[in-house]
Amino acid sequence: MNTTTPDPTHDADDEHTTGHVYDGIEEFDNPLPGWWKWIFVASIAFCPPYWIYYHGGTPGRSIEETYSVALADNTRLQFEEIGELQPTAETIVKYMYEDSWRRVGSIVFQTHCVSCHGRDGEGKVGPNLTDDVYKNVTHIEDIASVINNGAAAGAMPKWSNRLHPNEVVLVSAYVASLRGMDLDGPRGPEGKTIPPWPELTVSDEDAPADDS
Amino acid sequence: MATVTSTDVPQGGSGDSHAATDAGRMEQFSYDDSIVRMFAAATIVWGLVATFVGLTVAVLLVLPGISSGLEWINFARLRPLHTNAAIFAFAGNAIFAAVYYSTQRLCKARMWSDALSRIHFWGWQLIIVLAAITLPLGITQSKEYAELEWPIDILIAVIWLFVFGGNFLMTLIHRRERHMYVALWFYIATIVTVALLHIFNNLVVPIGTWASIPIYAGVQDAFMQWWYGHNAVAFFLTTPFLGLMYYFLPKAAERPVFSYRLSIIHFWSLVFIYIWAGPHHLHFTSLPEWASTLGMLFSVMLWMPSWGGMLNGLLTLRGAWHKVATDPVLKFYVVGVTFYGMATFEGPALSVKSINAFTHYTDWTIAHVHAGALGWNGFMAFGMLYWLMPRIFQTKIWNEKLVSLHFWIGTLGILLYIVPIYAAGLMQGWMWRAMDDTGHLMYPDFIETTQSIVPLWWLRVVGGLMYFSGVVMLGVNALMTWLHRPSEYEVPVISAPRLSDEYHAPGKPRQSPLEGVAVLEMSKKIESFAWMGWHRRWERLPVKFTVLVTLAVIVATLFEAIPAFLIRNNVPTIATVKPYTPLELAGRHIYVSEGCYNCHSQQIRPMVSETKRYGEYSKPGEGIYDRPFQWGSRRIGPDLAREGGKQSSFWHWTHFENPENVSPGSVMPSYVHLLTEDMKYDAIAPHVQAAAYLGAEYTDEDLNDTAAVAMRQAERIAAEIVEQGGPAKTYEKQAVALIAYLQRVGIDLFAEETPETAAEGTASEADSEEQTAMGAGDTADDQS
Repeated sequence: MNTTTPDPTHDADDEHTTGHVYDGIEEFDNPLPGWWKWIFVASIAFCPPYWIYYHGGTPGRSIEETYSVALADNTRLQFEEIGELQPTAETIVKYMYEDSWRRVGSIVFQTHCVSCHGRDGEGKVGPNLTDDVYKNVTHIEDIASVINNGAAAGAMPKWSNRLHPNEVVLVSAYVASLRGMDLDGPRGPEGKTIPPWPELTVSDEDAPADDS
Repeated sequence: MATVTSTDVPQGGSGDSHAATDAGRMEQFSYDDSIVRMFAAATIVWGLVATFVGLTVAVLLVLPGISSGLEWINFARLRPLHTNAAIFAFAGNAIFAAVYYSTQRLCKARMWSDALSRIHFWGWQLIIVLAAITLPLGITQSKEYAELEWPIDILIAVIWLFVFGGNFLMTLIHRRERHMYVALWFYIATIVTVALLHIFNNLVVPIGTWASIPIYAGVQDAFMQWWYGHNAVAFFLTTPFLGLMYYFLPKAAERPVFSYRLSIIHFWSLVFIYIWAGPHHLHFTSLPEWASTLGMLFSVMLWMPSWGGMLNGLLTLRGAWHKVATDPVLKFYVVGVTFYGMATFEGPALSVKSINAFTHYTDWTIAHVHAGALGWNGFMAFGMLYWLMPRIFQTKIWNEKLVSLHFWIGTLGILLYIVPIYAAGLMQGWMWRAMDDTGHLMYPDFIETTQSIVPLWWLRVVGGLMYFSGVVMLGVNALMTWLHRPSEYEVPVISAPRLSDEYHAPGKPRQSPLEGVAVLEMSKKIESFAWMGWHRRWERLPVKFTVLVTLAVIVATLFEAIPAFLIRNNVPTIATVKPYTPLELAGRHIYVSEGCYNCHSQQIRPMVSETKRYGEYSKPGEGIYDRPFQWGSRRIGPDLAREGGKQSSFWHWTHFENPENVSPGSVMPSYVHLLTEDMKYDAIAPHVQAAAYLGAEYTDEDLNDTAAVAMRQAERIAAEIVEQGGPAKTYEKQAVALIAYLQRVGIDLFAEETPETAAEGTASEADSEEQTAMGAGDTADDQS
């Protein structure tokens, strides 16, 4: 490739080399491909408007603000129907019998509780929740306070600042509903047998429409 | 080839017809090809090691049980070994082979010092061996691709900058070719920038010989790390390989490079723009939003500069496609450059925030980097090696068919690796964020999301095995070719004129086509500028060129780094965030040593699906004592940023013993060694002193009676474990320190000013902190 001819052409294109030769390597003097150049320019032009849109000072566009709105929407979607629940016996019993809300409780349980209490509440590091004996629970509302405040020297962590108050009520209802399934767990019965949960008090209109 | 003799004479003026005017005294010399042979052999050896360790970690993910009891081969210790071997050992030696072969020929000069070349070779191999020993032992800084501890870091800096860089620059200065070819520009950018990145990301306070903590903490450490991490990809895996491409591809194709002008534009835009893009690894984290936006925008602008390299590679093959069909070397290049184009389109796409929100922490990233590493780096290196083999071993390749087989099995291996892993990324990413119509997580159990992609991980093992067997074929072929080498290598003597001190432009000055045409003087200037004569001048001045490249990367860096470090509002302080106790600090060191960040992130993003799963999102002020930051980049296991208080101490104990005890289906290996090895309380003090030196507040007792303070906390935790039904005397073991740390992670945000008060009101406390953080974030935005 000793190309020292003044105007080397290749393959009869009208391409010209620059005349540079390095260890036999030549370079064409081709212009920048148009599409390449214009996409490059466009990608640069895209930036100032994007910056101004998100960082121009208009409120509501930052990541945190977007998140706050999304979180509020989500909370509304989840709990608009039921409002803010109180962890009372009556409320917990009520939601034990509302399948769709008990399912929400089961999702909370699957997210946070299964690593100690087992996938079905049969117990693992934490006690079995499906039998009739309980360590720290005498009344049904005690379930919510154990969840909120923890128990057994931190073996049961406190969840009050991790869960929405409604989630505490709904997961309490789910846990209460596990009683009586009497699954076999790795741990023996712990604590004392307690009286059955209170009956569902059917209060006028908002009686659950269906089921168990 | 190899017949270059003294007949090869005066190309001195790089092919211009008036070379004679520019030529000085004729000199005779020869090229040092034995150093190329050494680096080529090392490339193949480390290529085998890197892919084998890669295959091993892929198997460990699907069969985590097989490492049980052997903590040195746990996934989290071997994965850094795999990445370091692939990047610094395999790709590194390939780069050096390319640089030593091509630089000598492009400069018409032997490397400046044979001694430095050899110190470089053996020094680099020593670094790799030290890495291979220290990483499995748990000696690590736990910053991705910067895991090696400070003594090795110093060795790297010396070997890279002074030995390699010095030898290279002196060769440029003593060159006999007037102008520097584009490959050399890319080598210059590589040497300068990698040195800069390496040094500034590894500034640490040593704790003994084999431990250290970075001078940066939390958000700032994250910023520095990904400035480094991203540009390690840019300047270790991209620019030197572009240099390699610019030399070896036209050589193999015997075609001129498509466009000199494109080389110039894409080189400078690449060098200048790349350096800004690092923060795109930290979208939606507690990094200030302005930095994240800059990272995204510069990544978008990087698309075309990257594709400039791809175009110059692929379009150089115009008119040579018939050769591609028959020449396996060109086949490797075509696939390599194509993967480069694919990866550099995907990179900007993944840096767009809304796409990144989905793909970050998933296997998508793993697929992306393997498309780049296996396709671009691997195949460019293989193409180069097969082209070099007959030339450096001076005999024909042992088995041509085996080369083709390597190409096909490698290509299929890449596809079988990346396609399932892209699918795994999409699938798990979707499962993590899937919410049902009542606003609840559809897959609340994390392990379910992992288990669903395990079959795809098995396919990766198959793909990886195919790719690995290709590298074995390369090894066999190289070994057999080497065995057939001549008894003595021919060393051709080359003569070229020495460069005169003054440059005389060849021929008459360039005639502008606008000469005499009735246009504005301005247009003539623009036309003349576009002709790139100004750049031609730079190509004659290696020192000036090096300075300009250095300026391009430094200025861009400072534009981002100075605000990130100086604007206080970027990291609003949170009053309740306090330094770790001595025991927690020791536990954190275990977390770092074990490489937990390889599977667990510690950074919850402000997204509903994420905060529902893990808890309140991470705030910048929470990380001010985190040296190094441990945000991670892939969630093979769940995020741990709010792990403190989430499980009982006994739960952690039994989980370390065997994760299956409490998490059936978990892919985490057993960490039973933490339950059996004694906790060394006397070794904690230096950690506390180093943290105190960097500004964390500790009492005199913490500093002077460290072991006793730590022991008291350990005994409290051990008592808890007993109460919770666990074994006695756990305070003697290492796990207790790690548990102390894990119980502390992420709880300070909710802490009351005075500890031990009632739990009531913590939620509102958290709310108000959030307000502060948000408000301050806005201020930062305004200032930028």
